[in-house]
Amino acid sequence: MSKAVGAERFSTDIAPPGCLWAGARRAGVPHARVVAVHTREARALPGVVAVLTGADVPGANLQGIVHKDQPVLVTDTVRHAGDAVALVLAESREALAGALSLIRTELVPLPGVFDPEQALAPGAPLVHSGREGGNLLAHALVEKGDAPSAFAGCDVVVEGRFETPMQEHAFLEPPNGTARMTRDGGIEMTASTQAPFRDRFEIGHALGLNPMRVRVRAPYLGGGFGGKDGATVQCLLALAALHGGGRWVKMCWSRGETFLAGYKRHAARVRVRLGASRQGTLQALDCAMLFDSGPYAHLAVEIMALAMEHAGGPYLIPHTRIEGSCAYTNNPVGGAFRGFGVAQASFAVERAMDSLAQRLGMDPAELRLKNALRPGDLNCAGVPMESPAGAAECLEAVMAHPAWKERDAWKAQAPACKRRGVGIAASFNAMGYGRGLPDAAAAKLELTKGGTFRVFNSVPDMGQGNAAAFALMAAEALNQETAAIEVVQPDTRLCLPAGSSSASRTTYTFGNALLKACGAMREKLKARAALFLLADEPDRLAIRPGAVVDEATGRSVSLSQIGSMLQRDDRICIDQFVMPVVENPPDTGKEFRLGFPHRMYSHGACVCAVEADELTGQVELVRCVTAVECGRVFDSLGVERQVQGAAAQGAGFALLEDLHVEEGLIRADGLDRYLIPTALDLPPLECVSVEGDEPTGPHGLKGMGEVGVHGPAPAVAQALEDAVGLVARRLPVNPQEVLEAMGGEKP
Amino acid sequence: MNADVRCPGSLAELWPLLEDGFAVMAGGTDLLARRGAPGRVACLERIAGLQGIREEEGLLRMGACETHSRLLRHPLTASGLPVLARALSVLGSPLVRNMGTIGGNIVTASPAGDTLPPLYALDAVVELASRQGTRRVPLDGFILGPGRTALGEGEIVSAVLARIPAAGEVQHFEKVGRRKALAISVVSLAAVLRLDGSGTVASARLALGSVGPTVLRCPRAEAMLTGRRLDRETLLAVGETLREEISPIDDLRATAAYRRTVAGNLPLRLAV
Repeated sequence: MSKAVGAERFSTDIAPPGCLWAGARRAGVPHARVVAVHTREARALPGVVAVLTGADVPGANLQGIVHKDQPVLVTDTVRHAGDAVALVLAESREALAGALSLIRTELVPLPGVFDPEQALAPGAPLVHSGREGGNLLAHALVEKGDAPSAFAGCDVVVEGRFETPMQEHAFLEPPNGTARMTRDGGIEMTASTQAPFRDRFEIGHALGLNPMRVRVRAPYLGGGFGGKDGATVQCLLALAALHGGGRWVKMCWSRGETFLAGYKRHAARVRVRLGASRQGTLQALDCAMLFDSGPYAHLAVEIMALAMEHAGGPYLIPHTRIEGSCAYTNNPVGGAFRGFGVAQASFAVERAMDSLAQRLGMDPAELRLKNALRPGDLNCAGVPMESPAGAAECLEAVMAHPAWKERDAWKAQAPACKRRGVGIAASFNAMGYGRGLPDAAAAKLELTKGGTFRVFNSVPDMGQGNAAAFALMAAEALNQETAAIEVVQPDTRLCLPAGSSSASRTTYTFGNALLKACGAMREKLKARAALFLLADEPDRLAIRPGAVVDEATGRSVSLSQIGSMLQRDDRICIDQFVMPVVENPPDTGKEFRLGFPHRMYSHGACVCAVEADELTGQVELVRCVTAVECGRVFDSLGVERQVQGAAAQGAGFALLEDLHVEEGLIRADGLDRYLIPTALDLPPLECVSVEGDEPTGPHGLKGMGEVGVHGPAPAVAQALEDAVGLVARRLPVNPQEVLEAMGGEKP
Repeated sequence: MNADVRCPGSLAELWPLLEDGFAVMAGGTDLLARRGAPGRVACLERIAGLQGIREEEGLLRMGACETHSRLLRHPLTASGLPVLARALSVLGSPLVRNMGTIGGNIVTASPAGDTLPPLYALDAVVELASRQGTRRVPLDGFILGPGRTALGEGEIVSAVLARIPAAGEVQHFEKVGRRKALAISVVSLAAVLRLDGSGTVASARLALGSVGPTVLRCPRAEAMLTGRRLDRETLLAVGETLREEISPIDDLRATAAYRRTVAGNLPLRLAV
């Protein structure tokens, strides 16, 4: 409600009176040797407090969640146009802008590498000179069975090369925060971040500070989608705060800076060979994926791991060989984005399924259903699917939907100058961090003196609604009205450690910890109430809204009475949860130390109906139906909204979003040129929930923030093939290709 | 940077500001979106003389500061100039239409300006006002190139006057954009055709947007259409001629080749 009425304070809303302003000067060129950064003129400008360069950064001056290779301020080499070369602190935004424009850089351009394949070719310019392995950041192999031999036994083999582009998160609230140095030389910060607990270590490492003296608060985010999973403003802001003399410093990226310096979904190239029997039973998959990491590792290796784990789609394929590489380039920095590698893999494997269906003369839905992973089956990475595994149920649900069932009639009614087509796709998406990185959360729950409850949420709510889900969970578990539950947003001093808001994990992991804390609270309330009610069997007491009641005697004690009698320590319950991992991990993917493989997956299927215009090639998405299996549904509205948001991003990925990166520079560098779908470009985004039940989940649920993003791109591609015969292998599909597929002008 | 924004209530109050070098703003949806907006701005919206929509000697006179929304809602536009109404309905977004003005759209002089192809096809005339008085110039002579107009020193656009087609004339507008709102047109076509009783084109006016440095009239295609019927064969030939008359460019939104193809296809929407 606070969000609906505009009362919620986001990080951008915080501007302490008299705060300083900080901003970075960006390189603007994709690859260069830094000769000098001249700051004298900028420093001399009235209102400028400090101008810092790489030489002023204490500590390692390196950021990176897993692989630390990204400088806070570059010292010797610029590796992409968004690299920060200097940091300015000023009394006002005007002085900041003036100083940033007065910084003179002496950069000697270096030959850049802008194509991941060329980056791996011998003699390619090196993004990190002297690095063993050159531009190859990582290479890995995932295998099951014996794919090379299995192809010989396949009746039909299809092959294709697919490309997916970088994608901008386009969250409404830009990266921003405020920070100041505390009296003891620590840092306190409020930032728009998906990972406040990790930020402390990121800042601590980069700047040589004790991470435990860094306090990070994360209010509600105005969107994140993965783009705030990792340092954006954090290290720059902390560095600025170190020079702010204890004053608050605010940094807020412009939209242009967000395009320039923010993370993007990794562009990927995927080669797929898929073999099946004449009856359409999948037998072998050979897949090679190449990711464009940009100049820094960030999460490229982990994203590649997830892509490889999902390269076979939600299908049973006995023999697989999946090879992955990621390459350094001088392009924008690749990073997390809803679907984390799976979006790239999904498009490729689903398109291969389409071409297989065509070769076999099979219905694309039937082919998918026939091969859908069932409980107990091993997925393409050799992980057994645990109950529930709802790929088949999701497919059945969308196949029963009129959008699919009545497609022939709908297509036949196409108006003049329009051609219609319908496509279907299935997907799955792992939940949590995967093996090697404990996916943990600790929850703190407090009974207030007033008899209400305070949940100390540790995982940011970037708009996905986990905070609301936590309030609802606690209210149910404690048998209270939701109004009696207050959710404190993440603050590393007040809340207990948890992982990031990412990987479709928040409600599952923190929710489990919270439910355990609620269980402890119930026991505590009964035990303490027993003293008031003289009930020597606390178990017979019942918790009611605002009170604990002894049904046997009819007496009750209010929660406010209990709360006011207890010391604070005693009013708090704490518990934690660590997500279970695959017990017997398959003997493959050994290159991955972190995040491979996963034990639980959510499932999805999607039907898209499109109308293509014969005169213009414009494509209208007319229907989009997504079914998801995400364990038991706890909050159906929450699930529906997540699916809608994800489907909208998937639709943008399919048809619109194009950064036009040329020689490392983004040409569509603002929301005026980088087009995301508006409400008018989207049909009603329908959501069908397939009921599952995840035994380890809170209320049986699984995470589902990501699974809905995968369907639209392949389903739209198939629908376009159905409508106009275009075999889309590259995203986004543009009207010119559609028009050309129809033969240019109508004959 | 403290912007100096003035809102004169009359033309008399405006002239000294123009002499002082104030930039003129009428809606501001283009001006404010530009990186590096001017620091000194004179807003025209409160000048009563720049408002109003009325018929005048067979022409529809639209005050330069009429917003797109108001024009769209006005019965004289809706009933008399559906070709313009259609363009207004797909211009920008509802928010842009509430702010932006027809005068602003003209002076921005973008080849993608959505109101321009209809105005070209309606032989619109712009009325220019200055301290010295007013003068009228044809729209296609007023717009010289992207962002360039024949606006003189100390002069503003005060109104635009468009011919009101006779009842029964065919009016058609289509904008091809990359999405349905807040998208700059890739190609647009406005057509105003007078047919005789037998369905033969007696006169044709075609104007295309986003396929040249300004909105373009296509006289050869118009001539070709005249005396013919709106059948498919004719329209294909007209489309071919249109393609020869335009000079589109490649940009982020589309290639020149795509624009050329689509420009030639759009007349087919008129096929009967």
